[in-house]
Amino acid sequence: MKPLIRLQGVSKFYPRVHRPRERLRAFASLMAGNEIREGAEVLHDVSLEISSGQSFGIIGENGAGKSTLLKILTGVITPSRGSVEVNARMAALLELGAGFQPEFSGIDNVRMKSALLGMSSSELDKNLDSILAFADIGDYVYEPVKHYSSGMVVRLGFAVVAASNPELLITDEVLAVGDESFQKKCIRWIESFLEQGNTLLMVSHSMYLVQKLCRKALWLHEGHARELGDVFSVTQSYLAYHEERSASERRDRQAQRGESGLYNISDFLLPQQSDDGALVLEYGDDLSAELVLHSPDGIPPVALFGVMRADGTPVYGVSSDYDQIEAEQLDDQHYRYRICFESLPLLPGSYSIRGHAMDPQGIRLCDTAELRFSVSGASREMGMIRLPHRWNTKE
Amino acid sequence: MNLFSNNVFRQLVSRAIRTDYLENLTGFAWLILQPLALLAVYAFVFTTIFQARIPEAGPGGFVPYLAIAFWPWTAFSESILRSSSCISANAALIGKVAFPSEMLPLSTVTATFLMNMAGYLAVLIVLQLMGTPIQWLGIFAAIPVLVLLYIFACGLALFISALQVFIRDVSQILSPLMTFWFFTTPIIYSSSLLPEPLATVMKFNPMSWYVQRLRDFLLLGNYELSVYDLLVPMLTVLVFWAALKFFRRFSAHFEDFL
Repeated sequence: MKPLIRLQGVSKFYPRVHRPRERLRAFASLMAGNEIREGAEVLHDVSLEISSGQSFGIIGENGAGKSTLLKILTGVITPSRGSVEVNARMAALLELGAGFQPEFSGIDNVRMKSALLGMSSSELDKNLDSILAFADIGDYVYEPVKHYSSGMVVRLGFAVVAASNPELLITDEVLAVGDESFQKKCIRWIESFLEQGNTLLMVSHSMYLVQKLCRKALWLHEGHARELGDVFSVTQSYLAYHEERSASERRDRQAQRGESGLYNISDFLLPQQSDDGALVLEYGDDLSAELVLHSPDGIPPVALFGVMRADGTPVYGVSSDYDQIEAEQLDDQHYRYRICFESLPLLPGSYSIRGHAMDPQGIRLCDTAELRFSVSGASREMGMIRLPHRWNTKE
Repeated sequence: MNLFSNNVFRQLVSRAIRTDYLENLTGFAWLILQPLALLAVYAFVFTTIFQARIPEAGPGGFVPYLAIAFWPWTAFSESILRSSSCISANAALIGKVAFPSEMLPLSTVTATFLMNMAGYLAVLIVLQLMGTPIQWLGIFAAIPVLVLLYIFACGLALFISALQVFIRDVSQILSPLMTFWFFTTPIIYSSSLLPEPLATVMKFNPMSWYVQRLRDFLLLGNYELSVYDLLVPMLTVLVFWAALKFFRRFSAHFEDFL
């Protein structure tokens, strides 16, 4: 079977065109049929193959070339080198605005956008009601788009894309703009879109979303493909890279704060975690965590532990003063708390655990540290935790 | 080419018509009024001040002679001027959605021609009502000429709008250039009034053929054929073909230069 997308050795230079003379020279070299070689290289030799149903996430820092890669895939820009092949009915939602023209009303832009996505007028007329219902922005559709909030633009753009019935959906970091209920609506839509065997290609800074929606991922770093493969391993090395980068910053910050008199965290760790990667538990394993708190005045601070799903939905939290636990004193200023959540009932997925330092009265939150872990396994149960249950059947 | 059945193209044309002509209530009226006012100015200047006399002006004298050529010229020059910067004006669209960008200049030309041809028809009716016998059957011969003029305008618009992306000064040069072209085309005068070397040189201006043929068909009832009836249409098609090739070759790089 033909792959949905095949990129081979794609590089992209943006020619320098700020000054008229540079424009002229770049134009002359185009006229002569030369490749543009001078200028900023945004992508370097990226190869990629995506097959049908294999949703794909692109991650990386700002300026890593993610948006350029998407633009090349959608055909908006031409690669300087390499080849692009797309074998699917594709719909793209790039950046905010999605090609809307601000002076025109929402409904005009819907007509234009749906035409650009290959819908005929009669198809649009059939779908218009469902588009407006999905966007749910009321009478604003008759107003010029320039009066819209950024969330409304995305609502409308996504609604048209959803109605165009694509096989391949390409989105940039656009969903982040919508409000929570709309984001959920979009994600529900994308999930059902994926269940029908379609393919998603997304750029996102939310590792949670990427892990949730994609099966493979590409980590772009300064225009190079740094890692390509299974979504979990790629996102984990990406996070580890960030962890490393920010670790030194954090150490500096903590050193400063240590003198400011606040209670803070000097160490937070999961003893089960090996040095080289994120902690992966089996369903029902115990989860241990250790929190060392720094107390400048020598009074033991209160510790608070919280477990949440990777998207931040809280699962459970408990503090040492609620359970009336005394800290283990390490020296004049350091106290240690150790906790174990026994036979964790969390369903497979990504989670994080937070340790917090609170003042000795347990009122003010002074410092927070977060570690990620995941629960592996295949389960068709839904939700976050397994509730003990029993089916009542006849005999 | 299935351009006219393309939904995107139709949207672009209707959009261009609405923004350029129907945005305000008077927009549509101005479409007729502005050329009529200009026509009145030229008529006043040339018939009253300069006392211009055109020997072969035909029935009705100078004003119909001018009007028949003036509207097609307006459609032609306006569509080129309007479309010259249409690529940079639509940078937001080009940067976010992949679609054949030649539709942008083509839709601008189409919208301008549609609107001006509506005005042209209105002017022909006004002329008839004012006593000039219009050769209404000549319309069937005039339509192919106008279609060719449209194709010619499309070709130039494609070429100029693509060039403008790379060389921004094009739109600045264009306006005086079109004025020069206006005065070197026998619109407000007749080529028979020109001294000899110039008259021959002017024959190389394809626009001369366009305005003269329209006068022949609509005003004079002259259907004699000449070699130019072959050459100019061929040149027109050639210009369009070359411009489309030029445009398509460079449209892949627009985004880098916008």
